[in-house]
This record gives sequence, C-alpha cells and structure tokens, in this order.
Amino acid sequence: MATRIVMSKLSPTMEEGRILQWLKKEGDPVESGEVVLEVETDKANMEVEAMGSGVLKRILVPEDATVPTGTLLGVVAAEDEDISAILAEAEAVATGISVGRADAKPGTVPPSGAIPGVAAAPHPATPLEPAAVPPPHDGGRIKASPLARRMAEERGIALRLVRGTGPAGRIIKRDIEAAATTGTPAFGEVGTELGPEPPYERVELSQLRKAIARNLVQSLGPVPHFFLTAEIDMGRVLELRAELNKSLQDTGLKIGVNEILLKTAAQALLEHPDMNVAFAGDHIRRFTRVDIGIAVAIDDGLITPVLRDVAAKGLRQISVESRELIARAREKKLAPEEYQGATFTISNLGMYDIDEFTAVINPPAATILAVGATQEKPVVVNGTIEIRSRMRVTLSCDHRAVDGAMGAEFLATLKRMLENPLRLVL
Amino acid sequence: MTADRICKLLRLPGLTAYGEALALQRQLVQARSGGELTDDVLILLEHPRVITLGRGARVSNLRASTEVLAGLGVQVQEVERGGDVTYHGPGQLVGYPLVDLGRHKKDLHWYLRQLEEVLIQALGTFGITAGRVPGYTGVWVDDRKIASIGVHVSRWVTSHGFALNVTTDLADFDLIIPCGIEAVKMTSVERETGRAHSIVKVGDKVARSFAEVFDLTVEPAELARFR
Repeated sequence: MATRIVMSKLSPTMEEGRILQWLKKEGDPVESGEVVLEVETDKANMEVEAMGSGVLKRILVPEDATVPTGTLLGVVAAEDEDISAILAEAEAVATGISVGRADAKPGTVPPSGAIPGVAAAPHPATPLEPAAVPPPHDGGRIKASPLARRMAEERGIALRLVRGTGPAGRIIKRDIEAAATTGTPAFGEVGTELGPEPPYERVELSQLRKAIARNLVQSLGPVPHFFLTAEIDMGRVLELRAELNKSLQDTGLKIGVNEILLKTAAQALLEHPDMNVAFAGDHIRRFTRVDIGIAVAIDDGLITPVLRDVAAKGLRQISVESRELIARAREKKLAPEEYQGATFTISNLGMYDIDEFTAVINPPAATILAVGATQEKPVVVNGTIEIRSRMRVTLSCDHRAVDGAMGAEFLATLKRMLENPLRLVL
Repeated sequence: MTADRICKLLRLPGLTAYGEALALQRQLVQARSGGELTDDVLILLEHPRVITLGRGARVSNLRASTEVLAGLGVQVQEVERGGDVTYHGPGQLVGYPLVDLGRHKKDLHWYLRQLEEVLIQALGTFGITAGRVPGYTGVWVDDRKIASIGVHVSRWVTSHGFALNVTTDLADFDLIIPCGIEAVKMTSVERETGRAHSIVKVGDKVARSFAEVFDLTVEPAELARFR
C-alpha cells in the first residue's frame, strides 16, 4: 500500500520546513522505519522515516526547498503501484505558497516578464504541473474582495502573487492571511523592476548570508558596495584586435576593445556563476544566462542597452549587435526591454582618458565593471622596466550577494583571459 | 518522577577532536535507539580550533582559504547537517545533549528554546543578562552572540547541541566572516564580565541549569563506561 511522506509539524510553532537532503533516490527500495530524508526547521534537523515499505516512487519536493507543514514530499509504494490518485490529491491541495525553490527540475525559472518583487510567481508547493497560478484578471484588474485588497495593502502583499480561493478564484481574507504567514514576497523587495528577466536559479540564503546582508545595509545603504581594482596588460588584446581587423578588412566589420571586453566578461562569468547574480530580498538569483548591460552616455544622462546571451555569441555577432544597440541608445530609440535585466554591466570611460573610476550599481544588478583608459606606462616585467599598455578596471559589487574573495577571483580570471586573449576567438 | 529521570554527565578533559566527538555521539545515539542506553546524556567538552561547514555552507563563506586555515592550525570539517559555518576552539564550552525527546516533549522548537534557557540561566549566575533574538536561534547579550545552537534529531533522539564562548579567542570568528566587517558580533563570558572564568566552573553551572530546565537528575559518568 502506498504511504505518504509529508513535511510533519515537528513543533506546534512550526509553519514550514526545508528539505535538507534526500537520502534515497526515486526508485530506491525503502523499508518501513528507514530514514529517507532530513528536514530542517530553525536550527534543528530531523531525520524523517518511511512509514511503509516499497520503493521511493516519487520525490515531489527537491532539496533546499522550503514548504509548509503538511506538504506531500514523496510517496513510497510498491514498484508497480498506481499512485496517480495520491498525486492528484496532492495537486488539489497544493495551494500553499512555497518560499523555497519548488521547481523539481534543476531550478531554472523561465523568464517571466516584468514582475516587480521577488518570485516570478508563487511556486506551487508540489511541482506536479506548472499550475496556472496567476489569479483571474478582469481586464488587468485582479479579482479580490475589498477587505482582502485593504489587508494586502496594509501588509505590503502583492495581490498578483496571491492565489485566490474564493468564488471564481477571487482573493478573499483568508488568502491574504495565508500569504502573510507563508511569506509571499512583498512589494518593492527588489527595489526596481527587473524588466525582461533572464533565466535564473534560486539560491536560498544561509544564515550567515542573511546576517551579512542585514548588517552591511546598515553600514552602506540599501546596496552595500565594495570595490575591487585590477590593472590589466592589454598588449595582446591590442595585437589581437589589429590582427582581427586586418582579416576583416573587406567585410566592413570592426572589432573594438569594448567587444573583446564584453566577450571576456561573459566567458569569465561562465567560470564564476556566483558573480552572475542579483540579490532578491530572501534569496539570490543566480542567472543561467549572461546578459551584459553597456553603459552609454546620452544627452541627458545615461542608458544601458543589454546585449543578451553574450556567452553564446562570437566576437563578430557581439560587434554587430552591440554597435547597433549603442547607436539606437544614443538616438533614444530603445524599447524598455532592451535596457532592462542586465546580469552584469560594463561602463567604459576610457575614451574620456579616465585612469580609473568606481561605478555605482544600478539595482537590482549586483555588479558593474568600470573600465578606464588603456595607457602606455612603464611596468616592471621580470626585473626590467618595459613600456606596456595597461588598463585599470574597478568592479563594484553588491556585498549582500557577492563577497570580496569571489569578486577577486572573478577579476583574476578576467585579467588572465585578457592577457591571453587568443582563446576568445577560438 | 524527577528522581527517575537520570542524565549522565560526561565531561571530557582537554581538547577532543571534532571527528572523535562526532563518532562518540553516533555511538551513543545508536545505543539509545537500540535500548542499550536508557538515560539521557550530556557531553561537555572543548574542541581544538575547527571550522565546520554544514551542507548549506559554501567554502566561499570562509575568509581564508583551506590552506591558509591549515597553516593557522585550524581544521576545516564538513559535516552532514544543515546550516552554516561554525567555529569551535579552545575556551568554548561545547555541549552535546543526547536526549530522548519522546521522554520530554516531541517539539523541536521547544527543545531549541530549552537549550537557550539552560545557557541563559547559567550565564545569569555570572551576572550576564543574556536573552534570545526571535528568528535567530542562539543566545545573545544585546546584539552580541555568546552561544550558538544547532541540533540534529533522529527518532526523537537529539545530537549536536550548543557552543558557549567562555574565553574563546573571538578573533578566530573573523576567519569565517568576510571582510572583517562583523556580520554577527560574537562575544564571550570573558568579554562580558572582564574575567577569564574557568571552563570547568562554567561547565558546572551549565550542567546544573541543564538538570533544572529539563527536570533531570545529573549523574557524573566516565567515558570508559560507554565504550
């Protein structure tokens, strides 16, 4: 007979628990009383045992996800047993809003359009089907009772993230109460609209990271910046550029240092995915695509057109597309989705002969790279003084999401790549 | 009723390697589940300098590389439990209560609050007014953390426990806090009272309030008896 594994209430005050670790995989044989997973509440971990024997037929909630108590986590049953009834039942009650990553796949959340706040949409507590969560809209207006509307406003709960259980999916009082206890993301937690959002993985915050975020914000304002500067030898990049442009002579194409920088930064971010992130209140978004914003000065300010999926593009394509974007940015002809949602940003003031500078992060981004002019200067190389072309870059990081050592390692990779740029064109 | 409930008090002298203490706990938990051990046990000990990484922790949460830490004589140990980076070292009273919550109360949050209560009461005898910070398990003196708590429960038998800074070298905590910006300010009995109380004496007080809070009669025990 099939038995359920649920997130049990390990304390009367326990509202939700986190899956720490599954000790069995789907299909593994399980004996009654055997430990199948560990869950965490507060600072206590609990081993959870199977209540029946058979095989672990289904794992419904992945590791690291946080779900309300009572949520069905898995099913133990005979190998050939039909458990669709249990799964259907679980789906029917899956109204709770998971604050964890309830996506059973390796946590990739598809781009979701411009939704302010944190989660793209409330994840269903059990990831059976991508349940149609957004409540019914009436010509853009969300159906909710006046009381629910007022309560949501008072508590800073975004109505569009609440699942309505009233008539015709109308949001009523108890839905707001439920959302308040299960932690629906509040308004403005990210600060700014994320715009057309690149795909990302949700990374839960450790206690340490929460403490870092909380304290550093008190020290340095809502986005606690820190800055890392490195000097990079650009000799080989300049040689590479000259050679590339010679070979491209007939095509009318040109490769500039900027494009090489874009490509290098994308490559370096692939090696350091923890730098391709944004801090989102109760978690960190680790983007699974590299979208680089290019700061462009315009008449009355600046704008950062975003070149999408840079890592997947070659230098030629980067050159063509970035030049086109920059040109339209100068003419103020960019659509909003073309200047929102960068996962990394480059601001280059080299053409103004600036040696080095620090750039201010544009929330919700977590990083921006400030690039100075490439200048000839004397450098000590192996004990002799040589004239070298050097460029200073300064990386600004949001300390809530990124630590000094991570940033430094990223810069080291960027430097290594720029000083040995041939592999970029391979 | 009170007289029936015994807690064996196991005090290990000197410094006990983290791995050794882990093995001992496992052995005792097994004995408890198997019925060979019928009493609750409180182990009090000190660890050599060690940083433990829970499953949720990332090496990037360390301020120094594993090699640098090894050079400083700090061991880095990954442990199969959740949570963050924890530091243990000389001058820190580590308590591993192995209690059967089935005999007390099957309530994990209650258990965490009770452990906090044990330490709050013990600290009170040294004139330290300690308390709780809602949402942040542990024992705090204002905004300074004096004791950390993290427990593991198997069939309602507990292991792991608490770490109370008595004369701990607080600078060591910087090893796990990036940039030296104090994410969490740590403190110790010594820092709060201005006196280096002996860890044995603090252990006495903790054992006494443990007995009181959990309504147990403490009986000193020897390690050999369990082995």
